[in-house]
Amino acid sequence: MASPAVRFSGVTKRYPGVVALNGVSFEVAAASCHAVCGENGAGKSTLGKLLSGIDRPDGGAIEIDGRPVRFASPAEALTAGVAMVHQELASCANLSVAENLCLGAMPSRWTFVDRAAMRARAIELLVDIGSEIDVTKPMSTLSVAEQQLVQIASAVGSGARIIVFDEPTSSLSEGEAARLYALVRRLTARGTTLIYVSHRMPEIFRLSDHVTVLRDGEHVATRATTELDESELVQLMIGRKLDQYFPSHVGAAPREELLSVRGLSSPGKFYDISFSLRAGEVLGLAGLIGAGRSEIAKALFGLDPNVTGQLRLDGKPVQIRSARDAMRLGIGLVPEDRKVEGLVLSMSGRENVTLPVLDRVSTRSWIRSSEERAVAQKYFERLRVKVASADAPASGLSGGNQQKLVLARWIAAGSKILILNEPTRGVDVGAKAELHAWIDQLASEGHAILLISSELPELLHLATRIIVLRQGRVAGEVARESADQESLLRMMAGLDAAAHPPASTRARA
Amino acid sequence: MISRLLRSPQAGLSLVILIAAIGLALTAGSHVDPATGNNVNNFLNAHTLFQMATDASGFAIMAVGATIVIISGGIDLSAGAVYALAGVVMAMVLRAVGPLDPVLTVALGLGTCIVVSLACGIANGVMVVGLQVHPFIITLGTMWIVRGIAFVASHAESILVPPALTHVAKASLGLNPTLSPVPLLAMLGVGTLGSIYLTRTVMGRHIFAVGGNAEASRFAGLPVQRIRLGVFVLSGLTAGAAAFLGASFYGSATSSDANGYELYVIASAVVGGASLTGGKGSAVSAMLGAMLIVLIRQAIRTLHLDQNYEWIIIGGAMIVAVVLDQGGTKLVARRVAAAAGRNPTSSMPPAPESK
Repeated sequence: MASPAVRFSGVTKRYPGVVALNGVSFEVAAASCHAVCGENGAGKSTLGKLLSGIDRPDGGAIEIDGRPVRFASPAEALTAGVAMVHQELASCANLSVAENLCLGAMPSRWTFVDRAAMRARAIELLVDIGSEIDVTKPMSTLSVAEQQLVQIASAVGSGARIIVFDEPTSSLSEGEAARLYALVRRLTARGTTLIYVSHRMPEIFRLSDHVTVLRDGEHVATRATTELDESELVQLMIGRKLDQYFPSHVGAAPREELLSVRGLSSPGKFYDISFSLRAGEVLGLAGLIGAGRSEIAKALFGLDPNVTGQLRLDGKPVQIRSARDAMRLGIGLVPEDRKVEGLVLSMSGRENVTLPVLDRVSTRSWIRSSEERAVAQKYFERLRVKVASADAPASGLSGGNQQKLVLARWIAAGSKILILNEPTRGVDVGAKAELHAWIDQLASEGHAILLISSELPELLHLATRIIVLRQGRVAGEVARESADQESLLRMMAGLDAAAHPPASTRARA
Repeated sequence: MISRLLRSPQAGLSLVILIAAIGLALTAGSHVDPATGNNVNNFLNAHTLFQMATDASGFAIMAVGATIVIISGGIDLSAGAVYALAGVVMAMVLRAVGPLDPVLTVALGLGTCIVVSLACGIANGVMVVGLQVHPFIITLGTMWIVRGIAFVASHAESILVPPALTHVAKASLGLNPTLSPVPLLAMLGVGTLGSIYLTRTVMGRHIFAVGGNAEASRFAGLPVQRIRLGVFVLSGLTAGAAAFLGASFYGSATSSDANGYELYVIASAVVGGASLTGGKGSAVSAMLGAMLIVLIRQAIRTLHLDQNYEWIIIGGAMIVAVVLDQGGTKLVARRVAAAAGRNPTSSMPPAPESK
């Protein structure tokens, strides 16, 4: 085997409150396709960011062709021959394919863009990777796979020898996957090294020569793909005894049905979703990114105008057309992204907690200050929000405390049904354990909780039942007793249903 | 008490105004009052100070409305035009109905201003919310439309208003008959009301929330569209109030009144620390911002500087004021961050024990 194109030695990266990568070391062979996989939060995307210059490591070294590198920016990485193919970010949707491809070096004549030369150059770049996309089309009209091809063409055309594919968020069709497969062979054959960051089994097995598995920021294994089969790989990704990380939670016995959902659909997002939610239970909602989990949460909270289907609350049919309707009916939503959807960061912790319940601490719109303070203080204490002062801006709080503010808001509002979307994403271990205990306790107090999480262990330990979504539809429902990570992961990825290529075609000697 | 005042968000701006005023008083020189024979400071005398307050009152009142819009994340360029239309329509209505009882005249005048400005504000708000167009564009359009209506309606004439209104606006309220404290009092009144509205009421809190993060406000169940509409109504109302006061005080109204005020008004709000990205601002600060601008104008006159340089000086001073304010904000943020670093907020506390 040729000398490694990339060598990671002891690479460490910390984000506030999280160690994303901890002393990761492995090598990527030149002219090969190397998959990096792991669960959500394993650190695989961080690795791609470090290699392509988006972020810088806190410790350890990255070598390219035997020379240590430290990129200050993606542009610097590009100069050194490392390009990143990012799904949605890196193109100007309003410009044409040709303009996007020539953006860095626009062919010009006396400062005017030479349109003919630009188109010719763009076609040349695309033909080089075997694509025949119409270069005059606006970027926004292309499918995700086509946009990906344009980015690959751009990366190859810029002379990149190492291309990092960031985790694709939408799956490719059979035809697109076949074309991508051919392209990968073509690129590696001419000496390009590919690093494919993903947790999608079928693609990993079809595309890659080697697989590196990361787990909780640690390097677990690097193997030749042919030495592994799917269940071994899944085992490597999960790896741990779950009980060490998540103390077992005892859910209370489910009581009466609070919410019944029948045939909930929103075109392009999710279809025919039905379930019932009981007081005292935690219902888990699992699925890959893009499976429709967050979309369902928003729809139940009245934030999707196109939703159709039947909702019953305490047995009575209801319409939820706005967040206000949802609030009045006793539904609270802790959204996925607390900084964008959850908090007004410029306001204080107190103001964030009381935002939806101001009418309860005011007389004819006049806020009774002391009462407002008392309400905030009560939930600060109850949820153990740790702040110097309730008047400090929410922007300065840790992730765990910020999340508690959003949760406190809905408990203060008296919501019976709580929809929690990724409630522990990006919070540290201590706060996570606290939030878990809270979810448990709220359920036992009679709240009905819909828990959406990308972390399977979290779902397995908190949820009474788990509904698995795949491509906007319910793929199955499992009771806690009969669920395990592997079966959930398989259901989420559609492994049992979809035919994956037999070993003879995916194995490449 | 003093430490609380010093730590208030208005402390910096008040200090700047105070220093500028003291500097001006010291350099202004003095003259002999022919009536009393006393030596009076060219700047620090009741007459000049009341004159300045009157100058400031018009756009200080409108700056309160502008600040409310800016806090919500919007902008209102039509305030000056609404002022002109409200003044012109009031003058025309009063001329049409002829002589009335003074109290009725004042009531009808004020009522007309309120109705006109309310209509303009609602039009702005409905278009911003309904058409989903950026408020900059909508109010740029209505700025021309509204002033155009005023121009056409008044045939570009200056229309006199009945003396009853002038008597009210120029009432001396027991002070020296040459002094007119009403504009000053109106300004302080609107500033106080605006400040209370923003800091003490549910609607005020909602305006800060929408400006700070509209998406999170929607997720918290706030009626975001209604709030966005409401701020334009308030901004229109302050323009109507300023128009009533201005037209009454000066005794006439024309379609070119308050020309360019929209920018003075926005400048006042911004000098007062309002952030054009929303979520930050104060009614009192906006008033102080207006006073600073008037003070600069007054300094140019008192010190006999070339008045042709007025705009250059005001423009420069505005940029300096905003940059200083930003610097101060960053400094505070850094201190907060440093303090947070010293006592990390996350540890491993026990989970809720009741099980």
